Amino acid sequence: MIPFGFSLSPSSVTDLDKVDTRRYRELLRLEPGAATCIGCGSCSATCTSSAWTGMSVRKVILGLQRGRDVEVDAMLRGCMLCGKCTMVCPRGINTRNLILAAMRISKEDGK
Amino acid sequence: MAKKLRKKYISSGPMPVPKWENVLVVGAGIAGLEAASQLLSLGYKVTLIDKASYAGGHVASWHKLFPDRTDASSVITGLLSSIAGATLLLSTEILSVHRLGEGFAVVLSGGETLYFKAILLATGFSLFPAEKKEEYGYGVYNQVITNSDLEQWFNEGNDPRINDRKISSVGFVHCVGSRDIKAGNPQCSKVCCITAVKQAIEIKQHFPDAEVWCFYMDLRLFGKKYEDFYISAQKDYGIHFIRGRVSEVSEAIDGEVIVKAEDTLNGRPVKIKLSLLVLMAGIISRNDIQPLAEDLSVMMDSDGFLLSRDNITGITRSQRPGIFYAGTCTGPKTIPESLAEARSAAIDIHNYLRGL
Amino acid sequence: MTERIPGAFHPFVIPFLAGMLFVLGYCLVGMVRVTLELPREDRRRFLLSLITPRTLWKNIKDIFLNCLIHVNLWKRNKNLGFMHSSIAFGWFMIILLGHIEVALFLPHRIRFFYYPIFFNFFVAEADATIKGSVMMFLMDFFLLIILIGIAMAMVKRIRSRWFGMRRTTRLSLLDSIGLYSLWAIFPLRLLAESFTAHISGGSFLTIPMNWLFHQFLTTEYHILPTWWAYSIALGVFMCVLPFTRYMHIPAEMLLIPMRNAGIRVRHPRKGFAKLEYYSCPGCGVCIDACPMSVKKENLKDCTVYLNRQLRRGNERRIAEISDKCLLCGKCTAVCQVGVEGPELRVAQRERRRYAIDPDYSTVRPEVKGGSKVLYFAGCMTHLTPSVKSALSSVLETAGVEFSTMDPDGGICCGRPLMMAGRKEAADALIEKNRELILGSGCDTLLLSCPICYRVFRDSYDLPGIRVVHHSVYMDELLREGRLKINRGYECYVYHDPCELGRGCGIYDQPRHLLASAGELVEAKKNRAESICCGGSLGSLSLSFEKRRDITLASLRNLTDTEADAVVTACPLCKSTYGRYSDDTPVMDIAEVMQHKILLYENHE
Repeated sequence: MIPFGFSLSPSSVTDLDKVDTRRYRELLRLEPGAATCIGCGSCSATCTSSAWTGMSVRKVILGLQRGRDVEVDAMLRGCMLCGKCTMVCPRGINTRNLILAAMRISKEDGK
Repeated sequence: MAKKLRKKYISSGPMPVPKWENVLVVGAGIAGLEAASQLLSLGYKVTLIDKASYAGGHVASWHKLFPDRTDASSVITGLLSSIAGATLLLSTEILSVHRLGEGFAVVLSGGETLYFKAILLATGFSLFPAEKKEEYGYGVYNQVITNSDLEQWFNEGNDPRINDRKISSVGFVHCVGSRDIKAGNPQCSKVCCITAVKQAIEIKQHFPDAEVWCFYMDLRLFGKKYEDFYISAQKDYGIHFIRGRVSEVSEAIDGEVIVKAEDTLNGRPVKIKLSLLVLMAGIISRNDIQPLAEDLSVMMDSDGFLLSRDNITGITRSQRPGIFYAGTCTGPKTIPESLAEARSAAIDIHNYLRGL
Repeated sequence: MTERIPGAFHPFVIPFLAGMLFVLGYCLVGMVRVTLELPREDRRRFLLSLITPRTLWKNIKDIFLNCLIHVNLWKRNKNLGFMHSSIAFGWFMIILLGHIEVALFLPHRIRFFYYPIFFNFFVAEADATIKGSVMMFLMDFFLLIILIGIAMAMVKRIRSRWFGMRRTTRLSLLDSIGLYSLWAIFPLRLLAESFTAHISGGSFLTIPMNWLFHQFLTTEYHILPTWWAYSIALGVFMCVLPFTRYMHIPAEMLLIPMRNAGIRVRHPRKGFAKLEYYSCPGCGVCIDACPMSVKKENLKDCTVYLNRQLRRGNERRIAEISDKCLLCGKCTAVCQVGVEGPELRVAQRERRRYAIDPDYSTVRPEVKGGSKVLYFAGCMTHLTPSVKSALSSVLETAGVEFSTMDPDGGICCGRPLMMAGRKEAADALIEKNRELILGSGCDTLLLSCPICYRVFRDSYDLPGIRVVHHSVYMDELLREGRLKINRGYECYVYHDPCELGRGCGIYDQPRHLLASAGELVEAKKNRAESICCGGSLGSLSLSFEKRRDITLASLRNLTDTEADAVVTACPLCKSTYGRYSDDTPVMDIAEVMQHKILLYENHE
């Protein structure tokens, strides 16, 4: 590459060909319902914790699909497992199981 | 059963010459009316029955129809004028049905037993009972109404929930009881998105100073001119569209409701105070259809609607010979779709009866 | 009575003796181990309780009533109670009477373990005495009682419904060996004693049997083999006992005093937990009781199977069973031993390690407060605004000044985290809420959600603040005359929410409220046996679809009464039932009150 004397900032494009989705696939194994999310945001809107922690089940699922593990982990830490998201999810996803599974599998990937 | 009925028939006097009324249309909504009018013009004798005391079904209580804002009443009047030759029995239900030869002996709630060669089910749909989505507070908060309540207000203008307050901001919640496994209805109701856009525009016309918000999961504006409607709502009426499903409604001290949703495009939860919240209650199968379906031995689909012989080429045909469908009894449909299906069912019945 | 066998020994006692020594040794080691595994503080409390006369007396009474008489089973089903207590109490009496016999007639032989068991083999009846025939009569009598019990046990394997059970546990191989050897012991004893009755004497059972046998058996070669068989049956039973469900017999005897001392499950596998799962008799009463049993696929996820897997150490199944459970506590309510299925499961969940631990340092809620009564709606009530608005209107009518702790959504009470086995995280939330409540200046904390109520009551340290559930609070307002309603003709059926009923023992106040509002009818399964609505936060892995049948079955139990409305006192139960109840309205008890108050006011 020609030295320009400055470095290019990393691209903000998510390269879907290169995204590491191992953790998402593991999540799907533990909670197959994750695949049915339509991203309506009901869970995030009703979330007891989101006002303080930014927790959002929708973003957790999306984040894992796009390989954004650090953001996902930060959100997961805020979850209080109160179950409101499970109550409002129109797709009937077992979000509490999903969250606990996501909290478990981060280690197995050797983060 | 059939044997028993025949016996009763014989014992009641000398056997009259069977008078085949030809076709029974169950449901005098738009599909039933249209099918009846087509069958009449094909030369059949048609009996049209409806549980309600009026004809026209859901459309009869609607105000204006998308996308041209046609008067709903003019559509019904037009349809009614075309069925002048049919027997229209209102406030009438089927008590029992028995197959008799190639036709059906139908006992009606009026007490009469009539004979038909074919039956067309145009039984329509039920509006999702919005109080079932408890978190939206329909029936708890006076600020929360349904799409049907709003149409009624457009028609009659006497709903205290709207009249008694200053309307400064109005929200529309799409997909109430549609695309909702929890509510037992995984299907899309098809018409709510465009109805919400239509009603939002109409609200804006009534209350030009009010801010109007539509909360949607996906906007499904698939029909002719729907997209034009949407563009007009954005451009001409300044209606706000938020991609996020409302998940909670609570009451503010000042008599408004606080609505929580996630603005998913921005990735942030939002809350907003609204003076009126309109729930777009969806189309679900009629809860009283099952006994009738059992009586006719037609099957129910997994979504609770009637099961067609196949969903591409035989949507108007049931699995039983002589029984046909039209309109929303097989799933959510728009008015033009229901009307088109009614005509198609009429042709289907015509072909069936010719082949007997 | 004279000694017939010189040296008072015969090799046939060896199988029994071996089994006996093995089982005694095993149990002794086990008892010591379990006691040592208790946390120091618990161990001290337990040992102290053993020398406190009051608890000591209670222990003896409880062991007698539970282990021998099986009072709880009697309450469940007379046949089941008789079957168990006949075997347990009968056997106990035979051992006791055996010892009395030895003490009466051959006191110098009492130190031989086997002597009281095989007494009739070793003695010859020199002359009939009243004392002797009374003893013989009692021995035969209790043997008969046991034999009836065994016969009933055999019938139960085929016709479990006669014993009030739809389903029974599927036996493991060792359990079967234990069961068949247990069944064999007493008929063999009858045979053995009958064969020797003309020598040792007997009573109404053994003497006629002896006469009968002598009609076609002329030699005495068959005597010894039956005694051998009897001894072997005993030996086999005792050797397999530690590895079968029959381990519950010794384990329960330690469980009762430990429970009376207030010891609780603190470790998933050690100490009290171990004692609990070894105390499970594997009777399977919990299978029918479990709300998940409506689906065949869940039959093997009841507490009886959890206990079995815990003994086997099958980690995959333990995790599966622990995560699935709704934690409704019904298995504990019906369990004759009182094995705490939910607590055992939560302990297993606590064992799981997560890569990510919760961190609530950014969570800083505020509370407005100001009034003496502080109402915490909680997460679930926010999703049922009807409950919130009904309760507010009831409180206003009664003139109760209150402030809402979480009008705009507060933080969770911590109970769901606790149920999920994340105790540390729960404690962090508890601490945050505690500070808020103490800072609000209230003296009463009012809750409309039983899940919150239970944790605020049991796990929060709130000195000077009364924690009260809205059903109890409204009942008090009604009794004090601050609420006025007329009794109507509506017919209500009340559903006991798990956390409020079994969890906190509140059954009567909501019923009193409803009985004052209209006619109260009871569902077939109610109070401690009420069926979980299926919406419980207790289950981690049950999906929405899999809960459907549980809810429908539970709802059917209520709607079968043909009541006009199903009334509950939990927002989660209300939403769960509301989803499926098309014909009968589902109301919170506050809504009923609001409705009745309106009627009263309009009437006046």
